[in-house]
Amino acid sequence: MAHPQIAAFARLAKENSQPTRVLAGQTTLLSRTMHDIRYDAVHDEIFVNNPFAQAILVFRGAAQGEEPPIRIIQGPNTRLEGQVDRLDVDPVHNEIYIPNHEKILIFPRDGNGDVAPIRIITGPDTQLNDVESLAVDPIHNVIVTAGARPPTAPGQTRSQADQVYGGALLIFNRTDSGNVKPIGVIQGPKARIVRINQIQIQATKGWIVATQPGKYEEQEPEGVFVGVWSINDRGDAPPRWFIGGPKSQIKKPRGVALNPKDKELIVADMRLNKVLTYYFPEIF
Amino acid sequence: MLRTKQFPRVSIAAAVLAAVTACVIFAGPSQLKPSGYPQLVATQPLPEMSGEICLEMASLQEPKAPLRTASANANRAPTSDADRSPLRIIHDTYPTYSAIGVDTNSNEIFLQDENLFGIKVFNRTDNTPPGAAFTEPKRILGGLLTKLEFNCGLYIDPKSGDIYSVNNDTVDRLTVFPREAKGNVKAMRELHTPHRAYGIAVDEEAQELYLTIEHPPEVDVYRKTASGEDKPIRTLKGDNTGLADAHGIAIDPKNGWMFVSNHGSASSPTKKGGRFDPPSITVYPLKATGDTAPIRTIAGPKTQLNWPAHTFLDREHGELYVANDAGDSILVFRETDNGDVAPTRMLKGPQTSLKNPTSLFVDTKNDELLVSNMGNHSATVYRRTATGDVVPLRTIRSAPRGKQADMIGNPGAAAYDSKREEILVPN
Repeated sequence: MAHPQIAAFARLAKENSQPTRVLAGQTTLLSRTMHDIRYDAVHDEIFVNNPFAQAILVFRGAAQGEEPPIRIIQGPNTRLEGQVDRLDVDPVHNEIYIPNHEKILIFPRDGNGDVAPIRIITGPDTQLNDVESLAVDPIHNVIVTAGARPPTAPGQTRSQADQVYGGALLIFNRTDSGNVKPIGVIQGPKARIVRINQIQIQATKGWIVATQPGKYEEQEPEGVFVGVWSINDRGDAPPRWFIGGPKSQIKKPRGVALNPKDKELIVADMRLNKVLTYYFPEIF
Repeated sequence: MLRTKQFPRVSIAAAVLAAVTACVIFAGPSQLKPSGYPQLVATQPLPEMSGEICLEMASLQEPKAPLRTASANANRAPTSDADRSPLRIIHDTYPTYSAIGVDTNSNEIFLQDENLFGIKVFNRTDNTPPGAAFTEPKRILGGLLTKLEFNCGLYIDPKSGDIYSVNNDTVDRLTVFPREAKGNVKAMRELHTPHRAYGIAVDEEAQELYLTIEHPPEVDVYRKTASGEDKPIRTLKGDNTGLADAHGIAIDPKNGWMFVSNHGSASSPTKKGGRFDPPSITVYPLKATGDTAPIRTIAGPKTQLNWPAHTFLDREHGELYVANDAGDSILVFRETDNGDVAPTRMLKGPQTSLKNPTSLFVDTKNDELLVSNMGNHSATVYRRTATGDVVPLRTIRSAPRGKQADMIGNPGAAAYDSKREEILVPN
């Protein structure tokens, strides 16, 4: 992929609309593979990951052009390792949550520099295994993570490993720390989770909204959808709703965002290089 | 914070209003006082609050909310297929050119389209008239069989015209096609590459093919004819290499040098904590392998490097060209440069029509410089020695004049900015 950027489009933008602003360039410290982005409406800030530099970057909400971040979390004390892929921010309790392979790291929202996490969820009881994504629910005080993805065996491709519905949603208490068991696990053939990318929580109703892009190496895999579960679902629970049929047009959904005011669900599709907005009043 | 502080006042007002309204409704009209007394005669709905504000306040009002609330208490409903058409789609319907190659034998230009996934082929001398919507390509290669996806690097074999396409990200394949290939056809050769391959260069004398991997950064060298699961014959990687989000690569077999452009985002496989290096061109011995330090590094404010993308070495004139993506410029260095040096020439400015240039080709046969611009759906052609703010000799445009590219590429996430009513899309 040739060009990193964060582009902002008007809510009503459509085909061939121009971005209203673009954040790009050396001083932004952005890289490609920004697999998550969060907007904190309370503090008017944008949070995004730089996976290659193992950093969390925070920008002004109105940032544009070649504007540097206002805060950076990076350094050996952060315990960020490998690819720092996704995040969520809780503007109520002022915390940042980062899934980082076998652990979840929690930082103060206004953390800056080489800061240590204030809590870490990790250990064998957590069942965290290559945890790739998460979202926080500040009302019901839970963290929902996507993890327990089946590991690849020697000589096995990612796609072969993804053949089974081994992916899972793990639910923890928001204030959990250390080697704790999840309070809930959603996993099984009815749950149909191969792997989950970006997650949102519609917190006023306790809905988990997650993208399932399907098998990793396939350009147009089968069984892709955006699924909705309850934070109280357990076990082999099928999604309450799913968008993923022919009308939806989606081919490999990876990003999802919610616009509660207009009852809209927004999907970023990597195969299509498109952003699709759906009216989805059922979940609001 | 101002809006959140206002919410309790609004809430109190709403509660009072609701209570008074309820009293009025349940008391009935007989409770109304005679005209002349203060009384409620009309109500007006409160303006709708944004979800984030409501969410926060709900939390503050119910700090110990039990897990099972609202819909979560409802009986488990069966799955609902909520398949529906999108209300709106944000999409750039025009090609976005990430890389360029030229066959000076057939006089053809090859452009990598990273937006619609394909390769468009034009005559070398095509020139889109200012009033035309776009120039039609003479051939298009694309479709699922081609495995062209996030195709960001391109090499055209100077003898055979074979097309080498680097397909970054999930495909992780170098695909090789014959020059005349078109439509949705399989590659005549595929090489499984590491994840995030970007740059490509070929040492025709040694029949070796060089690929950069963005991250973890490395340079992998294969036999030129490598295919399938063939492994590299050499790999350059490690803390001492100075590689940091590696992008373009150029080689000089005569002098034995290899040039790599770096965006600067880095982390070490052996040390804790990531880092941001300045953008750079790191130079190595051509046959460097393992954790070899660069013999020279071009970096610093005088260089004006700003997300340097693909590079090209003009061996005949000893010049290193850099497509300077975020600088909207082309930088030309002497291949012997070292340290914080200014480019010997720079193409930049509104007359150039350069917009996010990510790839270039120096055609010494016709003494021209050809550039692919990701930012405006075009390829622009200049005299090889052009400098400053000059008008292109020719332009191949694949969208109406003035149409800027959205450059959405491999969107892996989205966010909604409720304050500005904007959708944020990272690549």
